[in-house]
Amino acid sequence: METRVFYPFIKKIIPVVVTIIIVLWLYIAYGALEYSFNNLAEFFRLTLEHFFLVIVSMTAAVSIGVSLGTIITRKGFDRFGPAIMAMVNVWQSVPSLGVIALAYGFLPIIGLSGIGVIPGLIALFFHAVAPIVRNTYAGIQGVSEDVIEAATGMGMTQKQILFKIELSNALPVIMGGIRTATAIIVGTAPLAFLIGGGGLGFWIFTGIALMDMGIMMAGAVPVALIAMLFDYTLARLEKIIISKGIQAEEYQEV
Amino acid sequence: MAIMLSLQEVTKIYPGAEHIKAVDSLSFDLEEGEICTLVGPSGCGKTTAMKMINRLIPMTSGKILIDDQNISRMDTIELRRNIGYVIQNIGLFPNMTIAENIATIPKLKGWDHDRITEKVESLLEIVNLPAEEFMERYPKELSGGQQQRIGVARGMAADPPIMLMDEPFGAVDPINREHLQNEFLKIQEKVRKTIVFVTHDIDEAIKMGDKICLLKDGSLIQFDSPEKMLTEPANDFVRDFLGGDRTLKRLNLLQLKSAMRPDPPVIMQEESPEKAKTMLTELEAENLIVVDQERLLIGYVDRDALTKMADTVGKVTLSTEAFLPATSSLKDGLSEIFTHDELGYLIVVEEDKKVVGILKEEDIKNILRK
Ligand SMILES: Nc1ncnc2c1ncn2[C@@H]1O[C@H](COP(=O)(O)OP(=O)(O)OP(=O)(O)O)[C@@H](O)[C@H]1O
Ligand SMILES: [Mg+2]
Repeated sequence: METRVFYPFIKKIIPVVVTIIIVLWLYIAYGALEYSFNNLAEFFRLTLEHFFLVIVSMTAAVSIGVSLGTIITRKGFDRFGPAIMAMVNVWQSVPSLGVIALAYGFLPIIGLSGIGVIPGLIALFFHAVAPIVRNTYAGIQGVSEDVIEAATGMGMTQKQILFKIELSNALPVIMGGIRTATAIIVGTAPLAFLIGGGGLGFWIFTGIALMDMGIMMAGAVPVALIAMLFDYTLARLEKIIISKGIQAEEYQEV
Repeated sequence: MAIMLSLQEVTKIYPGAEHIKAVDSLSFDLEEGEICTLVGPSGCGKTTAMKMINRLIPMTSGKILIDDQNISRMDTIELRRNIGYVIQNIGLFPNMTIAENIATIPKLKGWDHDRITEKVESLLEIVNLPAEEFMERYPKELSGGQQQRIGVARGMAADPPIMLMDEPFGAVDPINREHLQNEFLKIQEKVRKTIVFVTHDIDEAIKMGDKICLLKDGSLIQFDSPEKMLTEPANDFVRDFLGGDRTLKRLNLLQLKSAMRPDPPVIMQEESPEKAKTMLTELEAENLIVVDQERLLIGYVDRDALTKMADTVGKVTLSTEAFLPATSSLKDGLSEIFTHDELGYLIVVEEDKKVVGILKEEDIKNILRK
């Protein structure tokens, strides 16, 4: 009995603990901890900038991605669906570094600066919005016809059906898209430094340039931890906001 | 009785399929509390006809009146909220609990919390699913048959006077289907809704309908009570559709009380065996039903039994299984006559076993010959 409850828990927790131990060991062994302590003010500034990049571009990607994904399921707009899906898919398929470079090269053409936080945010946004649009679209499309017909026939308005039925039932799929997008953004965010977007990428690239593992780790380790933190937070969030009636079984244990 | 639903020359031509009329100038009236089964071959327009009533499908021409009001002048959302809607694939909302599913329309109508809870509980009771056990469950945690019952409960939640049901039991296996049908008829006895019930199964149409609306290629072929349709099919199509066993189908429809001989001679258990013997001779009968003071069934006596020494009939009474409630179908009656043939007839009783009549094989023959 006990092992049955315990085993999945252990299975989940062991890789996490092992990863954290390795990461922290790297952190300490290469002197990154010491470096961070000596540059505490800069550490906080870079971390804050990093969070800012991730959270702002995430927020934009979620709000615009979900809206766009929803709109192309609406009657009248559905014919734009394939075109919009093709477009966001292309954005996503460009390699991370490429997106950053494109933002750098493209923004001046439309009269914006290619350097700074804004281009960084824009690059991250474009890179991450695709899975959200795609999953929102697929999630809403995936809601059973019968459910929609019942709701319509019972006298729910289009708006009520969208919010109470379609989006609610698409939520597991949408959240899947958001997690993918987060992984992409967190993974790409260090590159924003290359076009002056700031963030922990500064230490990573400085470390690489100076061939100083300590400085590099001082940037890389917090980045890895931030990635884990976001993933964990989103996983918890899913359990809270997704109805128990549609949660996949794996979410229900613990 | 007031006419609740009236279809007048309702026609539907789908855009892109102009050469056929999916529904062709269909007219019928339905009284309050009646179930009308829409039946016919696949593609005859049943679903189309039904969905024009809640305007899920816009009609091409014609008029539909609910309670004398033209539905095309009503607000669509308002109209639909006052019509219960139950579909074949149920369509419960997977993200909502059973209670939330049922409460959907009452909530949108702005009922207060207590009234909604009360309604949900009473509906769950009506569909025979204990509220405390089911309210907080999710649709995926229910069997298909249970989901179907929740679908029906949800359709009735806002007390709509009219319900539309498209093959509500179509996805259920035959055994559960029969069970759900019976349960639904029991519910209907309590709630008396006006119901349009789509089915492609003629047996279901006969069983569930107060009226049957038989369609073919969008046109109304016959609109009658099941009994009338079975005895007087309008044409060969109806005859074929009803099937070769049309006469036997009436057995299902008719109740024992419609064929029985009422008030049969009986003897009270306190009477003397002599009296019983005299009665048997006078009636030229083989046996006699024995009852108590309230005319409740005790058993029977025959000549053999009466030869035994006893001071009252009650002491020599033999027990019998050959009885059925008056509301049973003639089909059950016929089967029972063959199973328990000790009397040569069947005793018809009320719920409390009060003797109200007897039924012989020839009575069944007679009523079918009518
Ligand atoms: N959206 C549509 N567009 C065009 N033709 C349609 C449409 N829906 C139904 N039809 C046609 O209208 C006719 C009636 O269809 P309907 O669905 O009402 O039949 P039904 O009696 O419910 O059949 P079934 O028993 O198979 O459910 C059919 O010939 C069908 O092909
Ligand atoms: Mg149909």
